[in-house]
Amino acid sequence: MSNFVPLETLDRRSLIRTIALGLTALGTLDVEAAQHVHTETAAEKAKGPYKVKTFTPAEYKTLQRLAVLIVPPDSVSGSALDAGAPEFIDTLASQNQQIADIFHGGLAWLDAEMRKRYSSTFVAAKPEQQTQMLDALVEAGRELAERQNEELVYQKSPIYKDFTGYTVRRANELGAGVAFFDWVRKMTVDAFYTSPIGFKDLNYIGNRALSRYVVPAEAMDYAMKRSPFA
Amino acid sequence: MEPMPQNTSSQEVYDAVVVGSGAGGGTAVHVLTAKGLKVALLEAGPMLDVATEFKEHKVPTDYDHRGAEEGGKSYFGQGKPFGFFSTTSGGWQLEGEPYTVGEGSQFQWFRSRILGGRTNHYGRMSFRFAEYDFKPYDKDGLGFNWPISYQDIAPYYDKAEEFIGVAGTRENVPSCPDGKFHAAPPPKVHEMLVKKACDKLGIICIANRRAVITKNLNGRAACHYCGQCGRGCQTASAYSSAQVQVFPAMKTGKLKVFDLAMVREVLTDNNGKATGVLYIDKKTRTEKIIKAKVVVLAASACESTRILLNSKSKEFPNGLANGSGMLGRYLMDTVGFGLSGTVPALEGMPHYNTDGYGGAHLFMPWWLWDKHNKLDFPRGYHIEIGGGYGMPSVGGYHGAARRFGYGANMKSKIRESYGTSIGFAGRGEMIPNIHSYCELDPNVVDKWGIPVLKFHFKWTDYEWKQARHMEKTFADIITTMGGKVSGLSASQRESQGISIPGTIIHEVGGARMGKSAKDSILNGYCQTHEMKNLFVMDGASFASNPDKNPTLTINALAWRACDYLAEEMKKGNV
Ligand SMILES: Cc1cc2nc3c(=O)[nH]c(=O)nc-3n(C[C@H](O)[C@H](O)[C@H](O)COP(=O)(O)OP(=O)(O)OC[C@H]3O[C@@H](n4cnc5c(N)ncnc54)[C@H](O)[C@@H]3O)c2cc1C
Ligand code: SF4
Repeated sequence: MSNFVPLETLDRRSLIRTIALGLTALGTLDVEAAQHVHTETAAEKAKGPYKVKTFTPAEYKTLQRLAVLIVPPDSVSGSALDAGAPEFIDTLASQNQQIADIFHGGLAWLDAEMRKRYSSTFVAAKPEQQTQMLDALVEAGRELAERQNEELVYQKSPIYKDFTGYTVRRANELGAGVAFFDWVRKMTVDAFYTSPIGFKDLNYIGNRALSRYVVPAEAMDYAMKRSPFA
Repeated sequence: MEPMPQNTSSQEVYDAVVVGSGAGGGTAVHVLTAKGLKVALLEAGPMLDVATEFKEHKVPTDYDHRGAEEGGKSYFGQGKPFGFFSTTSGGWQLEGEPYTVGEGSQFQWFRSRILGGRTNHYGRMSFRFAEYDFKPYDKDGLGFNWPISYQDIAPYYDKAEEFIGVAGTRENVPSCPDGKFHAAPPPKVHEMLVKKACDKLGIICIANRRAVITKNLNGRAACHYCGQCGRGCQTASAYSSAQVQVFPAMKTGKLKVFDLAMVREVLTDNNGKATGVLYIDKKTRTEKIIKAKVVVLAASACESTRILLNSKSKEFPNGLANGSGMLGRYLMDTVGFGLSGTVPALEGMPHYNTDGYGGAHLFMPWWLWDKHNKLDFPRGYHIEIGGGYGMPSVGGYHGAARRFGYGANMKSKIRESYGTSIGFAGRGEMIPNIHSYCELDPNVVDKWGIPVLKFHFKWTDYEWKQARHMEKTFADIITTMGGKVSGLSASQRESQGISIPGTIIHEVGGARMGKSAKDSILNGYCQTHEMKNLFVMDGASFASNPDKNPTLTINALAWRACDYLAEEMKKGNV
């Protein structure tokens, strides 16, 4: 199966090749060279401002605001906006009409709902109005999920075998918004955690090149002390 | 499409033609060329370029799609199996090369189409079968004995381990014999907790055994613990047949590799001998022929079976070497079941690099081999461990995001729960049964015009009960660690309490070995009973499917078969 051409410079590719060759020939490892590859990547990404491909300026602003609301900055790390979530969504939407439709439609729904509630677009609304809206969507999403689980049980249970009443789903007036928010949230979260900022937030420190693998005693002691085996 | 022209111009006769370049084919070309034979290797996939194909040092931001794939395919369930970064080179479905499944059955078939086959990305779990595994019928009256014993294959386990390199420790556990090991990396923190729990529960927990080298070997560098073997290993520290066997064999000048060569059938003469193979050259859509004194099929268990079934002629109306009618029969997979939980002792732990050598550093071999009279199922299983601070990836946090809503709270909850869960996967032995087999689908051909396989499969109570034992055991381990089971709900358990057949990707059998031509296809040397110069050197030969992952045994059996083949050739017997 062929993948599309990866976005990498020749430099980076040859760097990796150098590591591989170096390893095979010498059998020892240049840890620094390997680390360099990772730093390279980050630097490569830091070039030039992003050109929006799919969304209108208004839509894009909404995505940017949503990114900050979904993953806000805190003392540990930056926001999903810093991590490039809107770029990520815009890029995939530019490659896939289905995603573009979901977001065009969903963003329009969001502004329409905001106008009904607060006579304002999402972006122009007060921060507490924005979070009220998102809270309502989260709440409605939970209700919907719960009811789906109930239905599953009712359908499965032999007691209700001939009873079809519960399979009729009551429509939730926020249904469309719930589906949209699920999309925005999952793509925003993905963009955040897969970025260098997200790696740092979770403190992921793997995928290195080590000459020896050691487990720090500090970590081992920490867990053992808190375990039933203390 | 146009009818396929035939081109039989290449009249060179090789000593052997090997079909497929995975674990079986890789071993065959390595051993046969080392003995000085002139070998042709036919591979249905393209050549492998490790520099472009293997992604063990890539991170999501190296790609604008971060691993969600072009157009966000993974959001629609259309991404690569095991994720974008994995070097699967294929998957559960291949475009234009379908298979079908009989009514009432479920089966999924995982295929890779590239030099090296599935060994480029497989899990590298490498366990020897136990002595008792070769005589299962003698133990409990179920299934079939192998025509060989542990003593027959032990020297070849030695050779295979020494050559491909397997890290592990010597433990003297009868269910999982020791081998020639490289030093194993130390256990991670969550694994030590598992081990403590297992000690309490009387479960054996020892260093894992994986085909990864931890010291340099034959020009291959020791593992550098980047933890991503499933993406391919550019330094060949993890075994892949392409890097470790095929490339070196090419350097001997004795091997010619034909890539994008899809073998349709084995050709025979009137004297009961195979004369070569007919293949479709995918580059030109032409039929071509390779002539050889010996034909070795190693296209993976089901694919080799398919080639034999498709090698029909007047003399062999049911396929080649199939006088017994056993071709395709007693197909097996491994019984799989998984459960996960969260472990409070890991919350707030100072983070460290848990990637290690790319898989768990500990595992649990079957520990109740002498207690089957107290169990309600006949065969054993081993347990694999998952956990640690894995590389963040697309899709990894959807569930958590839904649970925690959004905003500062969600962000800190995800941070706190990162790396605090633990997972267990049981890998158990099934009993071969008559409902599990493959045959040719009379109505479907692939895009090369080759009739495709139709699968039939059933788990029985033996497997179901074993899975229930796994479930209870995993829950016990999790709670003994002070953790909470987060696995399956009652309603899920009904439908998902056992793996879908095929999905553990240990499909073996189909051309099983046995003592007699009446009820088996191969003898103990992977040679067909009916045709002396025709061999099958992949998992098709398995008479049973012990809980040990099959690849190391495929390597060892192929090596042994090649020694025998070369010897017989010298004697003029094949
Ligand atoms: C995700 C994953 C994890 C796994 N983990 C483990 C593990 O930890 N331990 C373990 O022991 N096993 C594991 N396995 C299974 C392991 O990959 C297989 O047992 C092993 O690769 C089988 O080797 P093989 O040579 O029979 O076939 P393959 O590796 O499948 O190679 C067969 C080759 O033949 C080629 N071919 C097929 N048909 C034709 C044809 N008609 N003509 C020409 N060429 C053809 C294919 O393109 C392929 O390259 C795993 C598999 C997967 C997918
Ligand atoms: S962990 Fe070791 S064996 Fe696995 S890909 Fe990295 S270097 Fe190779």
